[in-house]
Amino acid sequence: MIVLENVSKIYGKNSVGLEGVSLRIEAGEFVSIVGQSGAGKTTLAKILMAEEQPSSGKIKIGDWDITRIRSREIPQLRRQMGVIFQDYKLLPKKTVYENVSFALEVAGDSPRHIREVVPQVLKIVGLEEKARRFPEQLSGGEQQRVVIARSLVHRPKILLADEPTGNLDTLNTRDIMDLLVKINAFGTTVVLVTHNREVVNALQRRVIMLRDGRVESDQAHGKYTLSI
Amino acid sequence: MITAWRIFKNSWKHIGRNLWIGLATVFVFMTALVSVNVLLGANVMTTRVISLLEQRIDVTVTFQPQTPEAVLNQARFYLLSLPQTASVSLVTADEALTQFRERNKGNTKVLEALNELDANPLGGQLILKAKRSEDYAFLLSAVQNPQYAPFIKSSSYDDHKDAIAKIQIFGRNVRLVGAVLVALFALFGLLTAFNAIRVAIYTHREEIAIMRLVGASSMFIRGPFVLEGIWLAFLSIAATVGLVFGSIQIIEPHLLTLFDGNDPGLIAFFYNQGLSIFSIQAAAIIFLSALVSWIAAGRYIRK
Repeated sequence: MIVLENVSKIYGKNSVGLEGVSLRIEAGEFVSIVGQSGAGKTTLAKILMAEEQPSSGKIKIGDWDITRIRSREIPQLRRQMGVIFQDYKLLPKKTVYENVSFALEVAGDSPRHIREVVPQVLKIVGLEEKARRFPEQLSGGEQQRVVIARSLVHRPKILLADEPTGNLDTLNTRDIMDLLVKINAFGTTVVLVTHNREVVNALQRRVIMLRDGRVESDQAHGKYTLSI
Repeated sequence: MITAWRIFKNSWKHIGRNLWIGLATVFVFMTALVSVNVLLGANVMTTRVISLLEQRIDVTVTFQPQTPEAVLNQARFYLLSLPQTASVSLVTADEALTQFRERNKGNTKVLEALNELDANPLGGQLILKAKRSEDYAFLLSAVQNPQYAPFIKSSSYDDHKDAIAKIQIFGRNVRLVGAVLVALFALFGLLTAFNAIRVAIYTHREEIAIMRLVGASSMFIRGPFVLEGIWLAFLSIAATVGLVFGSIQIIEPHLLTLFDGNDPGLIAFFYNQGLSIFSIQAAAIIFLSALVSWIAAGRYIRK
């Protein structure tokens, strides 16, 4: 469960990232956070993964109040939350296998556990044959699947996807969205940050629309419609 | 334990997969270390030249012709007992005469005049070498004490005084400039190495940020970079030691002619002082490398 209470992020005098955002995302939900550029989507994603701290308000993930999370606690939070980025953020000098296993290594998992889990998740995303390749040897869609595999190894309760299809063609977009839906079906809460209307409308799930840093609408089975 | 092993393993993997950056860093480290050692070597040779010049200085104390040999021996032992003395050779009056005849054997007029004399006109001589050129004045004043002063006819110190003083000043200046240059080169070397590590880590800035995003702790991110810096520093110091010892073996025989057959002192210096010199250099470069890697990697660990 994710709870935001009156969260604001002010960057400067005339620059507001978020303003008084309150929302509650239940465990197991699939929520799309939509809005045009500058609406506050990325700020919200950054605050959820503790890359930024809110100027005011309160954020809870499960029982954990991360509003003023300490620097040394951030790695623990990140290990419990899967994060998918538009620009993949794969380690270029590590193979597909190593990119995925790295997420477990940093958590101190045993080599035996890593040898068991990594091939399993690579199989889920359909990359078991390309485990020894480096990111630059993969297509955009494949790279995004590696990122999903990496975010899954911890069996996270929450998966935060920040524009995961932004760099992908229609075919790869559908593959990635199918994967996210499948992951959600296993009980993982998925928070999808996107401005892709087709993706959101095809999902028919909860849609939270942001505008100028505020929640403009929150619909249980919503659609992303352009409003002026 | 497992984290330490992973940090260790990742540091080597990192070197293997960033070979060119690693080699470039080693090259920069080596350039810095070699330039310091070249300067040290040059300093050693210059000091050796000065020392050879100083060794050529001697002062001859000439005694009155009839001075008893016992007095000459006494004066010799007295001078030898002084810590400033390197050596004292005694040339008796007879030996002085023989040497004089030898030097003038083609000059019949001089030899004939000498034969006219009933007694040996020459006195004994003490040829004195001091350990340091600045000690001659002291030794001369020591031998001029009331016990020996009445027997002393002359000394060559006054003739060489200016030359000795010039050699002393030149030697002091050369040593001072040498020490300053070595210190400056060491500083430039450290700054160059410092920058090389910063640049190497700068190329990994995005990777560092990604590691953080997937939940790596600061230690897990910094560790491999710090160890990598240490391995590269080790590699560069080992290569520098090999290069320096290899080079001096080749260079020194060619320097013998320049030193008039005398030992230029390069091999002796690096064999005798090498352990401490390279230990200091290794400690400095390894410490710097580890410290800068720690700081530079930390710069890119964002939230």
